[in-house]
Amino acid sequence: MTLKLVVFVSTIALVNVFVVLEFVRRRKLAENFALLWIGVGILGIALSIARPLVDDLAKEIGVQYGPTVIFTGAILFLLFVCMNLSMHVSKLTERSEILAEEITFLRNRLETGASE
Amino acid sequence: MLVVIPALNEADTIGRVIEDVIANLRADVVVVDDGSTDATARVAREAGAAVLSHPFNLGVGGAIRTGLRYASQRGYEQVLQIDADGQHPPSEAALLLTQVFDGTADVVVGSRFATGYNRAAAGYDVSMARRITMRVLSRAVSRRLHTRITDTTSGFRAFGPKAISVFALTYPTAYLSDTVEALLIAADHDLRVVEVPVAMKERLGGLPSAGRWRSAFHLVRVVLVVLLHRVRRPRLERGVQ
Repeated sequence: MTLKLVVFVSTIALVNVFVVLEFVRRRKLAENFALLWIGVGILGIALSIARPLVDDLAKEIGVQYGPTVIFTGAILFLLFVCMNLSMHVSKLTERSEILAEEITFLRNRLETGASE
Repeated sequence: MLVVIPALNEADTIGRVIEDVIANLRADVVVVDDGSTDATARVAREAGAAVLSHPFNLGVGGAIRTGLRYASQRGYEQVLQIDADGQHPPSEAALLLTQVFDGTADVVVGSRFATGYNRAAAGYDVSMARRITMRVLSRAVSRRLHTRITDTTSGFRAFGPKAISVFALTYPTAYLSDTVEALLIAADHDLRVVEVPVAMKERLGGLPSAGRWRSAFHLVRVVLVVLLHRVRRPRLERGVQ
């Protein structure tokens, strides 16, 4: 059973890593985000191999059913990713506002022929 | 010749660096102010440099690209890049510039380690992991360029006319990519890259540009960049000039 699980999860993880690398190759994805998603793939493989460890951990913190720990971890991780992306969007928004202002003033200077 | 100095909050040292350059080299100086919040731009202007100010921080690579594009637009044939914190003495620049001026190299890298890597030369305590990564990067880049490059992250460089026109639009901006990936792009365009040993000084002031975790992350990222570089599509080249 465990071996089948490892093979199944590893296949998904490997496909994930391959897709990520292909996006990086096509320059559709920046390398720092790629590293994040490759990290997820590796973590997936690690968790599937360390299945007994997960069950032990679950017992330790009083969770009856092992996989719930993984699900909880996954949800928390996705929340983290969402938060991270929100922060990036916020930064980009701020920057595009600054750029728009800069361009406005440059255009004004060109149109009025004023200096400074 | 144009001296390009990328600067971020270096008001304490930039004045001395510019005076040192003007005293030692016959060159125009441009400071690319990469979103400083202190008096960097004013101090630089007063010391006699032209100043290009980014509207916000783009990183060292972005600053260098701006500098090289400026050089390309103004028709400068040679560019010398030095740091604003005073660790690259202009008196050493002749070592880099000779080969750019006589046309035997398109990019010359000033290396701290050309005589072998050592902690004292690095100027800071380097962790084992970092040292190994640096060595791996050095080996990969050296193989691609068919010449030994020991200090792939050196920011003390000289560029000839061909390098200026290539890099004015393609110089990578991400942290650490600005040095390592730039060398791979140089190889793609058949630029001749040479490394020469130079002496560097202690930085006059300022902080290193990244903390331990950030630089560790970026070292891993650059390894990925180096591994994928040959199969990757080239960066979008914009039809501007």
